[in-house]
Amino acid sequence: MTEKLFRHIGKPVERKEDARLVTGKGRFSDDFRLAGQAHAAIVRSPHPHARIRGIETAEALSSPGVLLVLTGRDCLDDGLEPIPHNPVPSTKYDMKLTAPGGGVPFIGPHHLLPDDKVRHVGEAVAIVVAETQAQALDGAERVLVDYEILPHVIHSEDAIAAGAPAVWDEVPENAFVDTRFGDWKGTERAFEQATHVVSAKFHVNRVTAVPLEPRSALASFDVETGRYVLYAGSGGAVRQKRELSSVLGIDPSRLRVLSYDVGGNFGARNRVYVEFGLVLWASQKLGRPVKYTATRSEAFLTDYQGRDLVTTVELALDEDGRFLALRADNISNVGARCVSLSPLSKGSGLITGSYDIPVAALRARAVFTNTMCTQAYRSSGRPEVTYAIERLIEIAARRLGFDPLELRLRNLVPPEAMPYRNAVGSIYDSGEYEKNMDRALVIADWAGFEARRQAAAERGKLLGRGFANYVESSIGTPKERAEITVKPDGTIEVVIGTQPSGQGHETSFAQVVAEMLDAPVENVTIVLGDTDVVSVGGGSHSGRSMRHAGTVMAMASADLVAEARRRAAELFDAPEEDVSFEGGRLVLPGTNHAVDLFELARLTERDHGPLFAARTNEMHTPVFPNGAAACEVEIDPKTGLVEITRYASVDDVGRCINPLIVHGQTHGGIAQGVGQAMWEECHVEPSSGQPVSGSFMDYGMPRSDNMPSFICEIAEVISPTNPLGIKAGGEGGTTPALAVVTNAVIDALRDTGVEDLPMPLTPLTVWKAIRHGAGHTDEDTRTTS
Amino acid sequence: MYELRYRRPADLAEAASLFEAAEDPAYISGGHTLLPTLKGRLAAPDALIDLRRLPELKGIRREGDRLVVGAGEVHRDVAASPDVREALPALAGLAGSIGDVHVRNHGTIGGSVANNDPAADYPAAVLGLGAVVRTNRREIAADDYFQGLFTTALEEGEIVVALSFPTGAECGYAKFRNPASRYAMAAVFVARFADAVRVAVTGAGNDGVFRWTAAEKALATSFSPEALADLSVAEADMIDDLHGSAEYRRHLVSVIAERAVANMGRAVVTP
Ligand SMILES: Cc1cc2nc3c(=O)[nH]c(=O)nc-3n(C[C@H](O)[C@H](O)[C@H](O)COP(=O)(O)OP(=O)(O)OC[C@H]3O[C@@H](n4cnc5c(N)ncnc54)[C@H](O)[C@@H]3O)c2cc1C
Repeated sequence: MTEKLFRHIGKPVERKEDARLVTGKGRFSDDFRLAGQAHAAIVRSPHPHARIRGIETAEALSSPGVLLVLTGRDCLDDGLEPIPHNPVPSTKYDMKLTAPGGGVPFIGPHHLLPDDKVRHVGEAVAIVVAETQAQALDGAERVLVDYEILPHVIHSEDAIAAGAPAVWDEVPENAFVDTRFGDWKGTERAFEQATHVVSAKFHVNRVTAVPLEPRSALASFDVETGRYVLYAGSGGAVRQKRELSSVLGIDPSRLRVLSYDVGGNFGARNRVYVEFGLVLWASQKLGRPVKYTATRSEAFLTDYQGRDLVTTVELALDEDGRFLALRADNISNVGARCVSLSPLSKGSGLITGSYDIPVAALRARAVFTNTMCTQAYRSSGRPEVTYAIERLIEIAARRLGFDPLELRLRNLVPPEAMPYRNAVGSIYDSGEYEKNMDRALVIADWAGFEARRQAAAERGKLLGRGFANYVESSIGTPKERAEITVKPDGTIEVVIGTQPSGQGHETSFAQVVAEMLDAPVENVTIVLGDTDVVSVGGGSHSGRSMRHAGTVMAMASADLVAEARRRAAELFDAPEEDVSFEGGRLVLPGTNHAVDLFELARLTERDHGPLFAARTNEMHTPVFPNGAAACEVEIDPKTGLVEITRYASVDDVGRCINPLIVHGQTHGGIAQGVGQAMWEECHVEPSSGQPVSGSFMDYGMPRSDNMPSFICEIAEVISPTNPLGIKAGGEGGTTPALAVVTNAVIDALRDTGVEDLPMPLTPLTVWKAIRHGAGHTDEDTRTTS
Repeated sequence: MYELRYRRPADLAEAASLFEAAEDPAYISGGHTLLPTLKGRLAAPDALIDLRRLPELKGIRREGDRLVVGAGEVHRDVAASPDVREALPALAGLAGSIGDVHVRNHGTIGGSVANNDPAADYPAAVLGLGAVVRTNRREIAADDYFQGLFTTALEEGEIVVALSFPTGAECGYAKFRNPASRYAMAAVFVARFADAVRVAVTGAGNDGVFRWTAAEKALATSFSPEALADLSVAEADMIDDLHGSAEYRRHLVSVIAERAVANMGRAVVTP
């Protein structure tokens, strides 16, 4: 019998998955081994842009142990389709991006291997399969590619300049998306009437996700059944199955994808990688399982990367500092082909940030360059636009003599205005922005700053403080399905289509179902990641998982209780409406008839089958997690070294299912945002087109010893958009971090006159600014009076 | 990694003869420099001869006014050695500041000195103290030993057996780490002898570790951070890369040298 011990939602339940993961029992892709498996190595382009004149494979094929070599020509001969990336976000709430002049943008077909040109360093040009990994690598060195080197372009602004080399002949200008949003005329008028206009241009640098587990895939083809199996960790097995079966030209039922434990995603694993298709194809051709695991170098070179937005923003203010209008010009560098427009689209809907700005206009462009493709990266698009507006407000305050916090307070969207429609049409569901802000300042001890600053000055250090508000949108793939089975052995099995990579779904999802079915959390098992079991599911991205899964699990739980009541009524021989569900038991009040769910499952299995409910739900309405963050940095003016000495945040995640997990997400999210602001950068040398930061020797990561202890609070303003009131908790740590850190560094440097500095704020960058007083933005301020 | 044979000789003589016998051999100690190179297929030796367990390369001991550290000693053991901590606390601090725990548990002083990475720590101590590099063939003075990036006086097949440090100096080591790799971006080892001062700089020079003789002279006259105030190394000799321009490194060398002088008797590391 199950006792009602506690209610589970909102409790800091420790993660059920940790014991398994920290004792090495995780099932990551590379842990799988199949009898007779062969190994794949990839031949990659050393050039940023070159025509493939021919590929000589004979020498590789005669290399010891080599079984198979495939090129782009084979890919065409076998009729393989490009990966159907479907990059334009398409729910009715997404900003609609179009080609220049309208229409569907050309995205650059993503064949498993190119036949015409290579378009970035590291692009796969051939796959070599051999008996051993070493033999595959030996073979790969013997594939001779005849390249005709072409001029290349790396930065988005260079790519749209006249005369730039075209990455795709189909889009000679490289800009394949050019869309205008908002009220251009109204904005123009507001700017004309404004007392002040402040503008600035920023580059939100390119970074990469650096998951602990490099991507890996093991494919096997069963000759007898004609079925493929792929072990490949990702952000969601269902998408992998759908898109990879389309590449192979097979019915999706012929492909089973297994994605169990995933060692970090952050967006980089959501989309299909060519290597996944390549091992499937090779396993079919060879009739043997084929495995590929990326090296760390390959991960740095060819994991889908993040950010890389150039944004020019202009703000119109009246004499009291009320924001009148905003105009933005955003250019997203998608790399050699377009995998996702989510960052550009997401950001487009949030250019006005947490502020009530009556009119706004935006030009959003996406451009091809000879670099690795970019993808949604933790908090896709939102840190970029948060950076733009929060930096711009800081610059405006300084240039015009306002207090930066006052300026924010004066313009925040008030709670009474919720739901609030912003100037580009996004509808913020709920939130108490000013309260977040007040609270963040309290927990950061903003008021005690001056004393700390003086103490630091006595030690020869420059103390600075930064602040930022944020609001983000969480939309994500709308569809999710839950299947719940109550088993006679006392367990409840939940099948769901999201894919955790450290977010603790096995615990927090279990809490939701345990709550609904009034069962102990430890009895609930979450089943994920096998497309033979999980048929529908949007995967994990855009902070969608708890909201979509929580909602559909709650619905399925209600269906399950209804079914249980029907069965209990039959058992008790009583009308269904008299049976009630209390404390995990079906009872007939006023009688001694009572049975718990598990017993009921046992008693009714023979006649009615397993006690089971399934629900598919679609939810399009976005939610808008929001919050505020503050930090302090201490700079050593002699070396330019920046140390973060204090970091506080308040995050409105809507209903919080498990605060322990949410705090963990926030901490990781902060580190990831701070990492971008301080150290991380995928640096490509423009003249050679060669990536320079291709290893940990040159790609700086955030580490535990250069983070302060975070002071985080959760605000729970219940969202009206879904039954549990959930917003999202995975990305809020990251979203304001870039702006907060940069604001603090610029504040610390206030006596040097430096107004802006590009990320990452490495010692070199900061020291140069101190030494040379550089770092003004290109743009200017106009004040009329 | 390319295919190769792994050999584990029992003693120094066998190591040397295995080297002679192979076509394109390489010694391996901690492997923390060599293994990444092999995995990246940037080197293709046909035989790897493991020096880690050679008895001749083990031990940390005092020999009169010298401190002798076996080439096979790992960074962790040098950092923790009571003899090193007593005789040359800055050297112990330096060893304890190398890389991370894994690196310190595997990397050896001999491997580091044989490799002579321009950003490595030990070369600064060896050159700064004017140590003697003992090999299986001879003794080499530090001033003759370091010969530029990844280049030393070692001949083909020659094995570093031990490092012999003078103990008559008071020393200080200061390091500013590269924010990505955490190797030295500029690090300075200062050794103050009764009759002279030696200053060695690592991480910054485009020819590897070097002695900063102008600083030595100034400090010999007046041993204080202020004595370095007007001195700087030549910008043209500095490494210029993503993490530090030559101008920045030139400046860092001065700042970090002052910190070493101000912190004699220990190692100070930022960040
Ligand atoms: C992540 C990481 C961080 C690191 N950070 C630092 C750092 O901050 N500072 C620093 O100084 N170093 C750092 N290192 C390097 C580390 O200290 C190396 O281990 C060391 O430099 C080489 O020592 P080893 O014993 O590992 O040599 P190995 O890698 O085994 O060998 C290096 C070279 O020396 C040769 N060799 C080795 N032993 C001998 C010998 N006795 N005689 C002759 N030749 C020999 C080998 O043939 C090879 O060419 C780091 C390494 C890593 C992987």
